[in-house]
Amino acid sequence: MKESKKGSSGIPVAIIILVLAVVVIGGYLFYQRSKPAPRANTASPTNTTVANQRPQPNYATAPPGAQPPNTLGSPTATVTIEEFADFQCGSCAAAHPVLKEINSAYAGNKNVRFVFRNFPLQMHDKAYDAAVAAESAGLQGTSKFWQMQDQLFTNQHVWSVANSNYRDLFIEYAQKIGLDVEKFKADMSGMQAKSRVDQDVTRGRALAISSTPTVIVNGRVVPYAEVTSAGMRRVIDAELQAATQPAQTARSANNSGSN
Amino acid sequence: MSDEEVQAAGTGGIAWIPVLAAIVAAVGLADSVYLTIHHLTAVPVPCSIISGCETVLTSQYAEIGGIPLAAFGALAYFLAFSLAILAAFGNRTMWTVFGVQVTLMAVFTAWLIYLQAFVIGAFCQFCLLSALTTFTLFILFVISKLRRSN
Repeated sequence: MKESKKGSSGIPVAIIILVLAVVVIGGYLFYQRSKPAPRANTASPTNTTVANQRPQPNYATAPPGAQPPNTLGSPTATVTIEEFADFQCGSCAAAHPVLKEINSAYAGNKNVRFVFRNFPLQMHDKAYDAAVAAESAGLQGTSKFWQMQDQLFTNQHVWSVANSNYRDLFIEYAQKIGLDVEKFKADMSGMQAKSRVDQDVTRGRALAISSTPTVIVNGRVVPYAEVTSAGMRRVIDAELQAATQPAQTARSANNSGSN
Repeated sequence: MSDEEVQAAGTGGIAWIPVLAAIVAAVGLADSVYLTIHHLTAVPVPCSIISGCETVLTSQYAEIGGIPLAAFGALAYFLAFSLAILAAFGNRTMWTVFGVQVTLMAVFTAWLIYLQAFVIGAFCQFCLLSALTTFTLFILFVISKLRRSN
């Protein structure tokens, strides 16, 4: 009796220590194993560049989306970056500065253009209204669309957690970028902006977009992990080069046949 | 105070409800350690139509003051496990402390389920497993009390 009591006082502590040890060691090993390679702007280790991605099978035939699309750059560009985004999606807000930087970096290149598509996901309660807000701003000029798009992404952390007054915040942004607020309000509840959003969504569904942001360069989806400053440059430069390659190949063949 | 479980334990035997509770707490511990590590190592993920774990684990509710919520969970499960083990070997006070703790955990878990259902709008299966283990611990404690009062 005494014996068993004495024994049992040590056993629970031993079990607890054993479990703690298992958790700490197991947890550490698992942590080491699942620690990701640093993402950021360093060269990505994969060869899963865009060239390996299969092109969207129906990219050319899918419904065109809102016309004219919200575009930066020349309509005759050889490289088209098309982003499907949801204003309430945190990853889209995270990708926003990356794409913004890319757009200004290639702003002088008339072979690159950027198209923004609305793809509000159902799980985000304010995403559709935000898309309509951006399109309503766009009805007052293309540059207003981009300013509103910027406002919505950079202030996402504010309006996405606001209560029912989030529309007032949209109006605040409209004021900030110098919109005609009364027209903006009317367009927010009108059909024109909504229909543009819906057309983008129709295109996105046809392209089987299942997550946001989805960035497509010349018909090929750029894996989300590649949507970094360096990753996007690599993809765009490869496409730019591919567009000029036939000429180059022909030239080098004429010269000496070796390259 | 004539709970047969604890009585048995007092004589050096093993109380089965606390043992069961310890096993369930260990499952919860493993789950929350997994979630903590997942949270710490997760690469940013896009928002997906198939909303799920990533939506939940990358939401603003997944951290308190920069510390992953799952880490608090791991701590709580480890404490619950330790208390249950001590109770299993006859320490009644620890079983009472265990009861208080799992009650608090159950309330907190109810709030987390509310967040997933109505605020985040997505469920994470590993968080639901944690909810299941917490409620099981709570139910085990209630059963032990009901038995005592009979």
